[in-house]
Amino acid sequence: MSRRSWWHTALLALAGVVLALVILVPFGFAVSASLQTESQLIERPPPLVPPSPTIDNYRYVFTGQVPEAYKQRALLRGSVTQEARVLPKGLRNSFLVALGVVLVNLTFGTLASYTFARQRFRGKQAAFGFILASRLLPTMAVAIPIFEILRQLDLLDSKLGLVAIYSAFTLPFTIWVLTLYFRSLPPEMEEAARVDGCTRFGALRYVALPLAAPGLAAVGAFSFLFSYSEFLFALFTTSTTHAKTIPVMISAISVNPDASYTLVAVGIVMSIAAPVLFALVFRRYITSGLVASLTRR
Amino acid sequence: MQNTWVGRQPARALLVLWLVAGVAAVAAVGATARTTSASTVDLKFQVWSYSIPTIQSNIKRFQTLYPGVKVNLSDTSWFDYHDVMATKFTGGSAPDIAYSSDHWLREWVAANWIAPLDKYFPQFKQYQKEWAPYAREGMTLDGHLYGLPYYADLIDFLYNADQVKQAGFNGAPKTWDDVRKISLALKQKNIVQYPLNIPLKKDDPWLIEIFYAMVYGNGGHMFDKNDNPVFNKPGSAAEKMLQWLQNARTKWKILDPAGPESAEPDVVKTMGGGHSTFTVLAKYNLAELNLGQHKEAGHFKLALMPGTTHSTVGFVRFYAMTANASKRGSDVTKSVGKFLQYFGGKTGGKYAVEKRWALEKGLGFANLPLYNDPQIKKAINKWGSVPLEQSQAKLAHVKEGLTPFWGVWDISAREQLDKAILGQESPRAALKNMADRWNQLKKQYKR
Amino acid sequence: MATSNAAAHRARVRPRRPGGRIAARLYAWGTLTPVLVFVALFTLFPFFYALVTSLHRYVLTIPGKPYVGLGNYRTALSDAMVHSSARTSLIFIAAAVPLVTVLGLGVAVLLNQRVKGFGILLVLVLLPWSVPTVSAGIMWRLLLHGDFGAIDGFLYRFHAIDSYVQWLSGSKLALMSVILVHAWREFPLPVILFLAGLQTIPPELTEAARLDRASAWQRFRWVTLPLLKAPLLIVLVYETIVAISVFDVVYVLTGGGPGSATTLYSWYTYTVTFKFLDLGMGAAMSFLMAAVLFVFILLYMRIVRLREAEA
Repeated sequence: MSRRSWWHTALLALAGVVLALVILVPFGFAVSASLQTESQLIERPPPLVPPSPTIDNYRYVFTGQVPEAYKQRALLRGSVTQEARVLPKGLRNSFLVALGVVLVNLTFGTLASYTFARQRFRGKQAAFGFILASRLLPTMAVAIPIFEILRQLDLLDSKLGLVAIYSAFTLPFTIWVLTLYFRSLPPEMEEAARVDGCTRFGALRYVALPLAAPGLAAVGAFSFLFSYSEFLFALFTTSTTHAKTIPVMISAISVNPDASYTLVAVGIVMSIAAPVLFALVFRRYITSGLVASLTRR
Repeated sequence: MQNTWVGRQPARALLVLWLVAGVAAVAAVGATARTTSASTVDLKFQVWSYSIPTIQSNIKRFQTLYPGVKVNLSDTSWFDYHDVMATKFTGGSAPDIAYSSDHWLREWVAANWIAPLDKYFPQFKQYQKEWAPYAREGMTLDGHLYGLPYYADLIDFLYNADQVKQAGFNGAPKTWDDVRKISLALKQKNIVQYPLNIPLKKDDPWLIEIFYAMVYGNGGHMFDKNDNPVFNKPGSAAEKMLQWLQNARTKWKILDPAGPESAEPDVVKTMGGGHSTFTVLAKYNLAELNLGQHKEAGHFKLALMPGTTHSTVGFVRFYAMTANASKRGSDVTKSVGKFLQYFGGKTGGKYAVEKRWALEKGLGFANLPLYNDPQIKKAINKWGSVPLEQSQAKLAHVKEGLTPFWGVWDISAREQLDKAILGQESPRAALKNMADRWNQLKKQYKR
Repeated sequence: MATSNAAAHRARVRPRRPGGRIAARLYAWGTLTPVLVFVALFTLFPFFYALVTSLHRYVLTIPGKPYVGLGNYRTALSDAMVHSSARTSLIFIAAAVPLVTVLGLGVAVLLNQRVKGFGILLVLVLLPWSVPTVSAGIMWRLLLHGDFGAIDGFLYRFHAIDSYVQWLSGSKLALMSVILVHAWREFPLPVILFLAGLQTIPPELTEAARLDRASAWQRFRWVTLPLLKAPLLIVLVYETIVAISVFDVVYVLTGGGPGSATTLYSWYTYTVTFKFLDLGMGAAMSFLMAAVLFVFILLYMRIVRLREAEA
């Protein structure tokens, strides 16, 4: 590669810095807002950096200790909405639901994908087409009937109900990606194992699965992020802290007249911390999974 | 910077991690499955998300009093409450007791979602005489009582008395023209850029009640006795008010242009920060403005609704028994009766829950005798004024035109009001569109 | 590793049974059935339910559910708000899709340069896409609000503006803000796709062009871009699908206002279904949207297959 001129490199570096700022500044703002009191935030202009950062808002969410700044009051109402105290529960619900969906995807999704990738049988194309085509349905149209199904199954306002909906929504994608992935693996080794008398499940379990692990990590990451963030169905099928996920909770808190915007910011930070960490850890799998699913083969 | 699949070893470890985590999740989901005991009556109670821990503590007190009843609380955001409840009622997962509002009373009765209380609990009728008229009307339909009050309040004109004084004026504005004059002075003296601030955000349900209040203040009406629109008559009080609002925004530039992106809390915070002087909001916001953590806290006052008659909207939010509960047998309805009695009525001769809301959260109440309670008086006078509040309450009326389709009409009405205020439509055209939509819905619901 | 695995587990190996054909079929359907049942329950049933609903007058608050044939579709197609929301959606798509694509391409090209420290950018670029839209939307509302937004505060502090700008209150400005927030959340995906495409281009090609004294733009236009045709088409179609069905951003940012400035078709479908409680009409509107989506998805499938043929 030939040398770049110094100004060319400087220009690129500048563009890189701008990009980093565009991505990070909103997050930085949310973190900074969560560390202040509301009256500072409402000032014109607000301070660039919190003059006296405090973790009182977080302490309130986790322990219920009302921040110093709000204590001089005759009423209990006001900027420390009690609803913020349930955020940790929402976080927990989001996590459990997302992990449940991941589990369903990795077990049933993997089994089905391997069959699609390696076996020839009548009805295969139809089954594959059916699963993929199910992604075409606009969610708005199926919202009411799905509500009806959950009621029949007595799964309204339950994490299990959410796991079921999200699994149905993520499985087609999972199966697509994994089928492509299994197909891209050289079949010789599995064939050898089969010739040696290994069962189909055995070939999947001991030969194909280890090779496909990165693909599994990718679909796992996707189903996790999707389920963690989904809003419309969580809004309509959950009604108590038993099952409400974090997006539903913070959207309600953000319009609560008692919520200080610093507490709303705490909610934002709490809700994005997990997916941000997740994206950082699983970046490679997400990246390659996306590429594979949308373009490959 | 490579984009290849990474090595298999760590990937495999991750896979195991996935599986373990997933199994743990499912186990946890299973472990937290709800358990119910057979001997008690279970009641489902649905509210909008406001002060859940206070409600839970009320429930706890109630359950200590009545050990045979167990109350399970659910909540949904106020913005989505109407939509989510409709889904629940028609989807067969109706609660036994639910918050409702005068907005929706007719809709819910027409759809047979809630049951008339007087049929099951004739003793509740005695409470009626203590209620403010707008609260009573808001819970009554065709002679039947459908609720006991959670809280009742007024749409009030609130202002920053300090800033008005700085602008060189004494006392509150009496008419909307006064508001214009003071606002122009505030602008000119560089005290506030946009003195008037009203929540116009499309999904904020308050706008329609605020507009009603402004029209009432000028002695106007929105609908006649037969629920036919009168707001669309050329030269109506509604048209004048809407024209005034459009001028305030586009001509005089005294109405905060951020209104369309502001919901109730945004306006309260902007007022508290001293960036606006006047607003029209539910009265309880005055408590927040004067006692909350705001730069201008303590400077805010209540004034009679500007205009000629100074009338305003009085509204009520109430506890309703659902049709679902009434079908569950006498054990359940009896328990619902106990619940309603405790939450919306008297226990030991006292309005325990309604008083608590007033003391702790500054919410208004339907039961006027509470004004004689020294504790309440003291609490209100810390952030407001009992005499002024009472005189405004005397001038308050229930919203007109509360038909089964009012809630649906409201969605379109708010959009039209927004368009007129922004200057995208003439007030007359907007009001005509609102009337057209009304008549279209009327036809649709008649079938 | 795989080979050793297979070898290690040879102990478990059983001799092949006769009648393996039937066993194979049993195994195949055994593994597919759970998924098929699941997907059918949550898509096939709702699909027909919604289809039937769309042929009835079904308003939650009006008793009765008479059959009206294509009445709901006719009403939808002649409804002024449906027209105006479809127009708004068209503007949204026409602005958001090219914006996201160009942004994605630009950032991908940038990240493909070998500059020290760009590795970290590659890590960061996924973040906007990974967080819940609701959280991102609320965050942006606090940043953009015309009374106390941090962006206004920043511009005001450095005298770039004399008074606060109402990013979400003017009709055009509000739609633009919604588009920008949408783009902020969506651009990482195209970046990844384009980057993958760029990395398959052999460096010799651009090097040869360089030796021919082609300018940077010429090299990009005539060497790089043609090779990115497939990802480009995929991004365009995929982002169109996303833009047609966008919902959460509008929900938290504007609620469809001011007036009807940001009432996209998908948002209006939500309003009709959940706020007007007119399920019949809402279902009809969903199916109209699905028809448009279907065309784009067919297009998408074709392109992907085209790519398969090329590879």
